[in-house]
Amino acid sequence: MCIVPFFITLAQERNGAMREKYYILTNNPMVAGKLSEDHKVVFMELSFEEILKEARSRIHSGQSLLTHPLSGSVKPNETPYKSLLIGEAKPTTEELAFTLELIETAIAACGKFRAKGDKYAQDFQLIDYTLIKSAVESADMGI
Amino acid sequence: MGKIKVVHYINQFFANIGGEEKADYPAELRKGEFVGPGMALNQAFGDEAEIIATIICGDSYFNENIETTKAQILEWVKELAPDVFIAGPAFNAGRYGVACGTMAAAVKEELGIPALTGMYEENPGADMFKNNVYMIATKNSAAGMRDAVKKIAPLALKLAKGEKIGASCEEGYLPNGVRVNFFEEKRGSERAVDMLIKKLAGKPFVTEYPMPDFDRVEPNPAVKDLAHTKVALVTSGGIVPKGNPDHIESSSASHYGEYDITGVMNLDEATYETAHGGYDPVYANADADRVLPVDVMRDLEKEGVIGELHTKFYTTVGNGTAVASAKAFAAEYAQKLVADGVGAVILTST
Amino acid sequence: MRLEMGHIYIRDIQFAAESKIADGVLYVSEEALKAVVLEDEKLKSVSFDIAKPGESVRITPVKDVIEPRVKVEGRGGQFPGVIAKVDTVGEGKTYALKGMAVVTAGKIVGFQEGIIDMTGPGADYTPFSQTLNLVMVAEPVEGLKQHDYEAAVRFAGFRVAVYVGELARELTPDEVKVYETPTMMEGLKLYPDLPRVAYVQMLQSQGLLHDTYVYGVDAKKILPTILNPTETMDGAIVSGNCVSACDKNPTYVHQNNPVVEDLFAQHGKTLNFVCQIITNENVYLADKMRSSDWTAKICKMLDLDGVIVSQEGFGNPDTDLIMNCKKIEAEGVKTVIITDEYAGRDGKSQSLADADVAANAVVTGGNANEVVILPKLDKVIGTLDYVNKIAGASEDTLRPDGSLEVELQVITGATNETGFLKLSAR
Repeated sequence: MCIVPFFITLAQERNGAMREKYYILTNNPMVAGKLSEDHKVVFMELSFEEILKEARSRIHSGQSLLTHPLSGSVKPNETPYKSLLIGEAKPTTEELAFTLELIETAIAACGKFRAKGDKYAQDFQLIDYTLIKSAVESADMGI
Repeated sequence: MGKIKVVHYINQFFANIGGEEKADYPAELRKGEFVGPGMALNQAFGDEAEIIATIICGDSYFNENIETTKAQILEWVKELAPDVFIAGPAFNAGRYGVACGTMAAAVKEELGIPALTGMYEENPGADMFKNNVYMIATKNSAAGMRDAVKKIAPLALKLAKGEKIGASCEEGYLPNGVRVNFFEEKRGSERAVDMLIKKLAGKPFVTEYPMPDFDRVEPNPAVKDLAHTKVALVTSGGIVPKGNPDHIESSSASHYGEYDITGVMNLDEATYETAHGGYDPVYANADADRVLPVDVMRDLEKEGVIGELHTKFYTTVGNGTAVASAKAFAAEYAQKLVADGVGAVILTST
Repeated sequence: MRLEMGHIYIRDIQFAAESKIADGVLYVSEEALKAVVLEDEKLKSVSFDIAKPGESVRITPVKDVIEPRVKVEGRGGQFPGVIAKVDTVGEGKTYALKGMAVVTAGKIVGFQEGIIDMTGPGADYTPFSQTLNLVMVAEPVEGLKQHDYEAAVRFAGFRVAVYVGELARELTPDEVKVYETPTMMEGLKLYPDLPRVAYVQMLQSQGLLHDTYVYGVDAKKILPTILNPTETMDGAIVSGNCVSACDKNPTYVHQNNPVVEDLFAQHGKTLNFVCQIITNENVYLADKMRSSDWTAKICKMLDLDGVIVSQEGFGNPDTDLIMNCKKIEAEGVKTVIITDEYAGRDGKSQSLADADVAANAVVTGGNANEVVILPKLDKVIGTLDYVNKIAGASEDTLRPDGSLEVELQVITGATNETGFLKLSAR
């Protein structure tokens, strides 16, 4: 998959707008537990692949993807948990092309890795939480 | 434990029967013989293997009678029951390359006998078959015969013995879409430095991972005034008038259909169906609008969202159809669409 | 900046009453080592063991691998901003104990990585089957949070490496290598006709077990910047990164970065090795944009002719890698990129999560999904309990005969993306 040349930062279109309004889309109860007090969290009890498809639907309906769906090096399906930041603003055509590609590749990557049991659910939740937290910190910092 | 048995396929030229004028030479089986390059192969095999039969066929004859010739050759090979089948090498001869690729793949897939071939990477047969059967990379003319035999013989022996086949650059075959690990002489960082020095000097280098070829199409700018635009429907979902009057194939379509829908408000079971063999046809046959949404387009037309729905739609079957074919169809009917004043197309697929 | 690296070859490690190095043998006191580790009250206990090349020993789960070094002359000390005080390092004289490593092992989270086999087929896939390994397994106090435990073990590993490195201070090296990076102006005068080349190193920077630190600063927080390549030889960049075992850089790799080594080998001959550029791999897309824009900008401002770009990790770093490659090429600077592949167990899937026609010069560390059978070995240091949960292992990993069926993913360093090993694929 090739990324369309993308030299415009995601912030450019939002001239003067302060922080990008966003919410956390997640299937991770720890993320819901720890972040819903100060942030908007949409928690859905879905599988790894399903939550990616849910994110894709939201992108199709005009929202922006702000984080990379393959965050972290724990492989898709090896961990059942995934959190993503979705921006409420409409993406530009280039952003849309770019992020759709990311989510489609991520969904395709699910096929390469085998699902595992959930003996270590807590640990996987924790890793996913720290990954999304790093993104939340970046999102809260700038535009 | 006898020698490994090899059956070799070559064309009329390498069999010393003749050149282009003898390309219509019908398929012939010569048992117990090696012919032309077979001699070099036998020598390269040493004591380990021998050619027990050679099959010769004219390139034109093969390509004009593929199904029957293939079937005949498969029958012969089945009876001979070799341990490995070798076709060619074909170098840059196009029809020969297609014949070699076809036979090697067929022997492997239909008879379950290990098979390989060899040709130049630009031979049309290469793209067609390199992912189906091991294909040694050769030079582009018969001057490369020695080099080709040097690579074909060892790979043939490995295949016959069921040994593990290494990476494409180790064994000499064209990369076939399957990544295989192996250990290089130098570590990766050193290879990277070497590669950069070559790249900076404008010298040729070989990448270790060729980026997939995506053949992107840049999107056109958005339609300016949809309410005054003529929109056409085009599909690769195989929707055709009931009875499939133009016999569009259910897979590997060889043509497309152009059909008039003047006055048609809605597709139904009595009048339309799908020819596509790659999905369960029940729902498309029951209501072809599901794949070619004529009904919804008529609504949009009435509501003034679009200017009008074009009187014709174009259709083919995407199942197994070569990219080159699809491109060729579209290049043709795109001209017609433009000539008919169509401003936008909705393309549906499955 | 000029650094003299003295190599001291260690040919054996033994526990002894007193710590010292004599005739290439490291004698080390377990008592003293324990004290160094347990300085941190968050750690309840620690055990040490020695694993030697060729022994039937498996170390798992591996967290970090560190080479003991000591600064004998010049500014600062090892691991500035982490163990030694903040000070610019990379010049003067440093000694390194070659042929050995400190390995931290033990569970931080249940699915902890990776495996080092000292013999057998697994040994071919890790550089650490060739080193004498001083292994430490540290237990946390009750109720310690994972990120505190991770930090505690990380720091303890560095402290041990520093303690051991210190034992070499008065020795005479067996071999000395000199590395020198001229300033911009000096370099232009010295090598007016050589192509200007830099090393762009991408650092994993995403969260717990996915972090890297530069002079103690979390790489998530940095903007791309430049370094003298010799700074990394004094531990300027350290790993807080365990996932995934095959393609994350243990501290040992940062200290012994092979791209730095191999570029220095050509420096002044076929190229002018101008500097090292570091950048990160954040999760937030705008951060990826910013960092890749910035990296390309630096390449242009430095008037580089070419760069080698290495990445770290799986999946989203492929996006950064391709962004960096495209943007740098667009500035007229030629690139060679080093990556690894996840082509599926059958080798047929698309290897990278991203691609672009500009990335026409690629070196690969191999397909990390390749399955290997690791035979049962006589001894395990660490624990096998968690092997099934290591990335790349599956429910049926531990077979009844005690052998492991795993993907290369689980072996520490197997498909390293700085080109540390000879594994490749076509």
